[in-house]
Amino acid sequence: MLSDIRLSMFLAQKSITKGNKGTLVLTIFIMALVFVNSVFVSSLFLGLTNTINEQMINTMYGTVVIEPKKDEKYVDGVYSLKQKISSVPGVTGVSAQYVTGAVLSYKDKSGAWSVHSINPDDEVTVTTIHNFMIDGEYLGKQDENEIMLGKEISGGYGGDDEDSSLGVKVGDTIDVLFNNGVKRSYRVKGIFGVNFRGADATAYVSQKEMASILGMEDKASQILIRTWDIGNEDRYVKQFLGLGVSETIKPWQNYASMVGDITESFDVIAMLISGIGLFVAGVTIFIIIYMNTISKRRQIGISRAVGIKESVIINTYFLQAMFIVTCGIVAGLLIMFSLVVPWFVSHPLDFSIGKISLLILPERVSISAISLVIAAVIAGLVPSIMAVRETIVEAMWGN
Amino acid sequence: MTGNAGTGGGAFVMVRDLCRIYVMGEVRVKALSNVSFDISKKPAEFVAIMGKSGSGKSTLLHQLGLLDTPTSGEVIIDGKNLLVLSESRKARFRLERFGYVFQEYALLPELTALENVYLPAMALGRKKEEYIRAAREVLEQVGLGERLHHRPREMSGGEQQRVAIARALINKPDILFADEPAANLDSASSGQVLELFRKLNREMGLTILMVTHEPEDRNYVDRVIWLKDGEIAEHGT
Repeated sequence: MLSDIRLSMFLAQKSITKGNKGTLVLTIFIMALVFVNSVFVSSLFLGLTNTINEQMINTMYGTVVIEPKKDEKYVDGVYSLKQKISSVPGVTGVSAQYVTGAVLSYKDKSGAWSVHSINPDDEVTVTTIHNFMIDGEYLGKQDENEIMLGKEISGGYGGDDEDSSLGVKVGDTIDVLFNNGVKRSYRVKGIFGVNFRGADATAYVSQKEMASILGMEDKASQILIRTWDIGNEDRYVKQFLGLGVSETIKPWQNYASMVGDITESFDVIAMLISGIGLFVAGVTIFIIIYMNTISKRRQIGISRAVGIKESVIINTYFLQAMFIVTCGIVAGLLIMFSLVVPWFVSHPLDFSIGKISLLILPERVSISAISLVIAAVIAGLVPSIMAVRETIVEAMWGN
Repeated sequence: MTGNAGTGGGAFVMVRDLCRIYVMGEVRVKALSNVSFDISKKPAEFVAIMGKSGSGKSTLLHQLGLLDTPTSGEVIIDGKNLLVLSESRKARFRLERFGYVFQEYALLPELTALENVYLPAMALGRKKEEYIRAAREVLEQVGLGERLHHRPREMSGGEQQRVAIARALINKPDILFADEPAANLDSASSGQVLELFRKLNREMGLTILMVTHEPEDRNYVDRVIWLKDGEIAEHGT
């Protein structure tokens, strides 16, 4: 058995080293491109969904959200609840928000948007909006009569809905008609743009201002929580429940059903593209090994005539296929990590949802590599098995 | 002499009623028909199979050398009916007991002379030092001690054929099958090859079955089996 393997390796090595180098390099290059294509497509889609997820966490929900109990409109006892939540190890920020609808108007333009009241000092511990101020300043805790607008509301900064925006600049005064009928005028203090439409279509006022409008204290529509890690939300939910938090607790994923659908769709597309790539790779290896076996038909006959086992000959071609695909994968990894990834790091794609880069997961890379190996093994084995099925006389003399 | 001549009990090679029919669509071509003969071991014989083109010489050699499977009949070598063996057992038998020399040399072009020669020994599972030493020795024996690392394309036809003979000898076979071994060689090289065969037969006791169409090759052999239209036409010396 060992001598058979040694013999197969000997013949495969001779065939590779003494065969046509140009064909070998071209084949390996094709394998590398197929591998790069497979990894690239899945990584790009993963990067896209990852960016959406990050935007949701960073600009809208944090990692865990506490909502009012069922059939209740507000979360009560916000102050003590925040104290409890902040005591849980791993919680890095807590921000209570009151959310209401309002009609914002400036000159002859108006529209209905969502207005959030925040304690700016708390909010910066949960969301990153303060890092994306396009103009003006972020809200201050004591700010009254001032409002901060997303670029979809203000207009003028390349939002998706420029036509329906107000067309205001920092320093302009707008009118806000809250759902409870209270109408106030606010100076626009700052305009932000996080490139995530849901967040950019939001207006912010201070909690102090909202309290004066609604006459409510120690209540909130939602409490956003930020944890230092992402992906362990269920553990935090359990801990909050253990502390006696009786409100509705939701991890951020609950708000990402749309993203979930997109992710599934992208996975299907990525699978299809990778599948086609693998099929092409399989056919390529098949053609190359088939042509190789056809051109070496007589040699196969000679080898069998002198007593070399069929299994040794099949293994010889199997090893050649493995060599080609292994080199292809290694070359593909080199292309991916020395060219494609660095390029995307310095030139991320600028989508309306944010900057998209590649997210390369080792398990996805492994799946691509294993799939390519399987395709190569099948494509390598079939023609070699076909070649040893004919008789020695047929192989040697074509009878 | 016609029919099944030269048969007897206890022979080293016994061929009985060997038939090979090729079926090509609706047409059945009888390449060999009820061929029977014996070859003795002591003394080892150097037998030529002769006949006109299309008489079935090479077909007979292929059946005896287990390169093809006859339609019916028996090939018994050293008391063993070879045609009942599985393909893998046949391959092992070829490796251990047979050597082959073909008209077109049949060397692997990617291998050097030394590698071509030690390939069957390697397949037999012999140790590396052992098969390299054996290959060197046998190449020296056929006069190619200076051409060990040359590839087939770097050697003349006569040299390539001697490499093929060395490969056939590496596992110390019982029988050497040669299919027109000198057909592609000039008269000098042809003479060298046939002299070498006779020497191997006489000095090493190697049984040789050689297909040839050259009348003068009869001078080197012990016996000739003449074939005509797939049947034995005559045995002679």
